[in-house]
Amino acid sequence: MKAFAYVNPSNESDALAALRSGGIVRPLGGGQDLLARLKDYLDEPDRLVSVKGALNREAAATGDGGLRIGAAMRLFEVAEHPEILKRYPALAEAASTVGSPQIRHQGTVGGNLNQRPRCWYFRQEEFVCFKKGGNRCFAADGENQYHSIFGNDGPSKIVHPSSLAVPLVAYGARFRLASASGEREVAAADYFTLPSMQTVQKENVLADDELLTHVILPAPGNVRSGHYEVRFKESRDWPMAFATVVLAMNGPSIDSARVVLGAVAPVPWRAEDAERVLRGRLLDDAAADVAGEAAVRGAKPLAQNAYKIRITRTAVKRAVLAAAGRSV
Amino acid sequence: MQQPTPQPTPQPTENATKYAWTVPPDRTRVIGTSVPRVDGPDKVSGRAKYTYDIARPGMLHARAVRSPHPHARIVSIDFSAAKAAPGVRGVLTWKDPGTEVMYQGDVVAAVAADTEPQARDAARLVRVEYEVLPFFSSEAAAMQPDAPVVFPNGNTQAGQTQETGDLAAGFAAAAHTLEATYSTHVITHVCLESHCSVCEWNGDQLTAWVSTQGVHASKQQIAGALKIDQANVRVICQYMGGGFGSKVTADAPIIIPARMSKDLGAPVKMVLDRKEEHLDSGNRPSAFARVRAGVSADGMLTAFDGVTWGTGGAGQGANFPLPYIYQFPNRRRAHTNVYINTGLQRPMRAPGHPQGCFVTEMLLDELADLVGLDPLELRLKNLPPTAPDAMWAEYYRMGAKQFGWDRRHPTGDRNPGPIKTGMGVSANQWGGGGRAGAAHVRIQPDGSVLVQCGSQDLGTGTRTLLPVIAGETLGAPLDAIRAEIGDSNLPFAGVSGGSTATPGIAPAIRIASGRARDALFARVASALDAAPEELAAGDGRIFVKAAPERSLAWRAACKLLGQEPITADGQWEPGFSSVNTSGVQFAEVTVDTETGIVKVTRILAIQDCGLVLDRLLAESQVYGGVIGSLNFALFEDRTLDPRTGVMLNPNMEHYLLAGMTDVPQIDVVLMDMPERGVIGIGEPPTVSTASAIANAVRNALGVPIRSLPLHPHRVLAAIDAHTNSGGGPA
Repeated sequence: MKAFAYVNPSNESDALAALRSGGIVRPLGGGQDLLARLKDYLDEPDRLVSVKGALNREAAATGDGGLRIGAAMRLFEVAEHPEILKRYPALAEAASTVGSPQIRHQGTVGGNLNQRPRCWYFRQEEFVCFKKGGNRCFAADGENQYHSIFGNDGPSKIVHPSSLAVPLVAYGARFRLASASGEREVAAADYFTLPSMQTVQKENVLADDELLTHVILPAPGNVRSGHYEVRFKESRDWPMAFATVVLAMNGPSIDSARVVLGAVAPVPWRAEDAERVLRGRLLDDAAADVAGEAAVRGAKPLAQNAYKIRITRTAVKRAVLAAAGRSV
Repeated sequence: MQQPTPQPTPQPTENATKYAWTVPPDRTRVIGTSVPRVDGPDKVSGRAKYTYDIARPGMLHARAVRSPHPHARIVSIDFSAAKAAPGVRGVLTWKDPGTEVMYQGDVVAAVAADTEPQARDAARLVRVEYEVLPFFSSEAAAMQPDAPVVFPNGNTQAGQTQETGDLAAGFAAAAHTLEATYSTHVITHVCLESHCSVCEWNGDQLTAWVSTQGVHASKQQIAGALKIDQANVRVICQYMGGGFGSKVTADAPIIIPARMSKDLGAPVKMVLDRKEEHLDSGNRPSAFARVRAGVSADGMLTAFDGVTWGTGGAGQGANFPLPYIYQFPNRRRAHTNVYINTGLQRPMRAPGHPQGCFVTEMLLDELADLVGLDPLELRLKNLPPTAPDAMWAEYYRMGAKQFGWDRRHPTGDRNPGPIKTGMGVSANQWGGGGRAGAAHVRIQPDGSVLVQCGSQDLGTGTRTLLPVIAGETLGAPLDAIRAEIGDSNLPFAGVSGGSTATPGIAPAIRIASGRARDALFARVASALDAAPEELAAGDGRIFVKAAPERSLAWRAACKLLGQEPITADGQWEPGFSSVNTSGVQFAEVTVDTETGIVKVTRILAIQDCGLVLDRLLAESQVYGGVIGSLNFALFEDRTLDPRTGVMLNPNMEHYLLAGMTDVPQIDVVLMDMPERGVIGIGEPPTVSTASAIANAVRNALGVPIRSLPLHPHRVLAAIDAHTNSGGGPA
């Protein structure tokens, strides 16, 4: 592992200043991804800036009935937070299934959102792919059973690894990004980027000298939400496909819907066809079926992952059923 | 390796009667009870020192330089940058320029440095120039008729065709025949403690702390590799985190630090990381079987014709027993080893048996459906005759009752809804037995007892067997007995492998303890006004058999020894151990037809192993075997990139292993057979779980999935293929 300098600032502005201290600098949260990348020689920063003590770790009510979550909040805290459990249950559920208890106690909200892909070509040093400055995506015509079925026209076929990103997009969250020059807010849906030749080495719009400091959730309103993860192993594994649905209700029928898919695209994937077919329907079994069907319309499987269409359909169907208070 | 001259089978001596396992009814048994591991508290509290934990003053750390290519010729090795790196003390060439590396991870060279991170960094600075050569990343590629010659003696090697009976007559007698191809995949051993060693020289004496399944075998192999006297090598392994067959060879991770330690005049440690462990520490070979089989209208197997192949990597065989257990009177088998450019296979818990078991047991369920018989009925009709080492029929009947086999539905769960359930069964057998063991017992005048045996505990609980057997025999309290194992300076014992360790050492410990007890009787008899042969020992006392109230507490008896302890030796003799076990397993699963996910809900394992020495340890062996086989069925799969031959999942992330929540309820029924003596139980329980699960999945879906692992995408593909072929919805 390349030797690096370690900076442990106690507040946000010191952390932001440290990000501009020259060379390759990486913010360090729980380290569950970054430290493994260093050990595997996949990343060789000159400086690590610990943000665990510098960034906010609370979830606080906003003036307009929403919730503001500090990026240093640990995943287990998200999973157990009473307000999150009550008002954004899909987020709590997504946090509760990440990795293992140890990972959830180390891992932070910011780290979960900004972790790098788990693609097995990306993670093996032998493969110098687009994301590592190479000139090909090895998954495109390789072992791509765990890769994308949506948004995969671009150079990289990864799926985004964040579990929290999917419910956050579904709940319409915004992210506060700060740098030493100022701050901005970006909708979660706009934060993650589909790969192009220009952007393929990153998965989001965060600049090298910026930190994602807060997640801001709007007031949920009269919604029912559901979350379903298709998991082969029940612990220490990644979901094969998952979905969050957030349904704005008008009595027994659905006024509008947000359907977001995970582990199927390089970004959290809005299933707009599914959102459309749910609008105005009663929340029932038939709604779950048609939403599942619509969600996978337009999927473009690679050579070995057509099966993900079926499990994605299942995830959406079961997420809608979960929103209706039903289990499989 | 030179084959040793076979030793003549020794005849039982008077010891077989004198120290027979049978115990008079006048005392409480230790053997066969549930004695917790004596080192359990040390292990869970971290006091137990594994090889990984060994640190010696001035110790250096070695790291291998490994080939990134599946096949290449080494053109040159340039150490100059590595030698100049911080902390580097030395380098070593393992393979000379001009020679070939045969798989990704093949060792080329090594560096030693002050710290492990320095060694890792420096190893990357060794510049190896390779001439990249053609390679195979699959059996199919190596078997192409126009494939390049990658292996000088042939890319494949066909064995002799074996034929018994009259195949044509067998097929003529068949009312139904089935042709199908079955296969199992390559998995690796994934020992929690990776291969590691620490080597330290003192003059011409080498001490090696090695994570090994055989301290004595390692000693001999190290001495051979270094061309030094065996008497100058001492190998120590006090605690280890698993071996499963992969730690029986003294190879690079031992010989590199041994050589570098000698050269550099400092202790050298070498620990493989998880990636190296997957690439170059052994694996279970793949198995493919194209089978044609016949069964009569009343369910008697008539004929079996199998063409099989498999790979054990870059030059190792991949044979397996087939057909397995069940009797096909007319059969033919032709096997071909296929070589591909991956790490070499090593024995893995019941080598060959899980593969042969899978092919046969899957075939039997399909034949049962052709005949219209319950699969258990078909099995009962075709088993070998019942014998003490062939108890399958009895176990199947017993297990069917306990498991609720009568609730099994015919092939294909007709219940509506996406979640289907199913049940399956499977049988196992293993030889076991062992003849290599010696033990030394010392009774101190203060009543403490030392039992020594140069075996090793790879996690099975071997250490605990010493006080169990000695305590039973001497009648001494268990907490007075100290067990010493894991050191080649202790009396010889064989490798812990093939279910041979316990049957090898248990007789030796029994005899040594028996002799020590008799010597103690001789020294204390006068104090009890009795003749030595009138005495017995048990429950912490020495007493007169005919008048148990005339007794001495253990420590009081030992005090009579004065200053001179009792010492006694024993070694393996016939009459205390045996070979051959049988067992069966039942599995129940659910399959989610909308996701392809298989969950195992229940396993029942019925297993014999002769005399059960410690019930907890024996049950623990079965749990471990079942979980390992469940991993084989569902999760583990070594995945190679076909274009580069590079392994994609050399980790514990994409190489899946069951977690606690993926492990079902496991019920173990141990069939104690004290009259057979000790046999060993390491291998058999891991043979049949995978096939029982696969048959349960078939029972749930009505779709055969003839290859492992049962990953969701393969389950869904099988359902689709069945639906598309007009099989109707699963």
